[in-house]
Amino acid sequence: MNVIGLGIAALGVGIGLGLIGYGAMQGMARQPEAIGKLQVAMLIALAFVELVFLLTVFVGAPGLK
Amino acid sequence: MNDLSKLMFHLIASGSEEAGAAGHGGEHAAHHATSYWATMALTGLTLLVIGFLLVKAKSGFTNRTFRGVISQSSEQLYLFIENMCVGTIGSHGRKYVPMILSFWLIIFFSNVIALFVGASPTSVLSFNLGMALVSIGYVQYEGIKSNGVFGHFSHFAGPKLGGPLVIISAMIFVIEIISEVMKNVSLSLRLFGNINGGHQAVDAMNKISFLPLGELLIPIKLLTCLVQAMIFCLLTCVYLSLVTHHDEDHGHEGHGELAAAH
Repeated sequence: MNVIGLGIAALGVGIGLGLIGYGAMQGMARQPEAIGKLQVAMLIALAFVELVFLLTVFVGAPGLK
Repeated sequence: MNDLSKLMFHLIASGSEEAGAAGHGGEHAAHHATSYWATMALTGLTLLVIGFLLVKAKSGFTNRTFRGVISQSSEQLYLFIENMCVGTIGSHGRKYVPMILSFWLIIFFSNVIALFVGASPTSVLSFNLGMALVSIGYVQYEGIKSNGVFGHFSHFAGPKLGGPLVIISAMIFVIEIISEVMKNVSLSLRLFGNINGGHQAVDAMNKISFLPLGELLIPIKLLTCLVQAMIFCLLTCVYLSLVTHHDEDHGHEGHGELAAAH
């Protein structure tokens, strides 16, 4: 059951990371002079989304054994 | 919640498995965490590498030019960190460059060392937690230094509300203090999870067959090393910019410098 939960968490976080990448790419393509600022904001958002999955792993993974 | 706190305890204690907690430490997923002495040795190795590189870099300085690959790349590194500080914090961000640069060097070289010796200080939660405590403590110190003790702590209470709304201010204060404490946890867990997760992924791929397939992950681990070091520094910059903002508008100068640099 825990494996399914981790899979669902990975699915959601994957969708979230993809959306962030999509938005940032589109913004960069439309406004290349803002790439520096967009990258910074994108990295921060990526870090926060990723943290959700890491927390899930820390809570869920020890139950796998 | 009880499980979570037990898990945190396990993860922190797993660094000192040799000190008698082996019965507890071996049973959970983080048993790949290196032991205490290995962590200390790896930290020493990291500092030796950094010191060696910095001495090499300094030997290439003359009073007019930077000669040698290491000196010139250290200049580029300084410019990169300075850009990050000035772009995120504003024009007064240049005085935080030494601290951010130290964080960057320590985290990046600890991460990269793992690609050569198979384990790194940053794959142990206690090391990361220590670094996060230093980072957040430094943020508090700078906040108090620039706004005063009362100014810094009233900043946690949000906007000034009058009359009976003081209760809301008190609630905001409590929540902000909790989130300030949780910044330590999030900074350290992010670094730990990324680095240790990379190690475990390599382990798992090595077990698939007799071929060392895990080595195929090394390039993406190098990318993770760079990005995680950058994210730690970037978040420290963001936290610094939240507590050290002054009333006068520094925004335009900062943006102007960032735009000029690109």
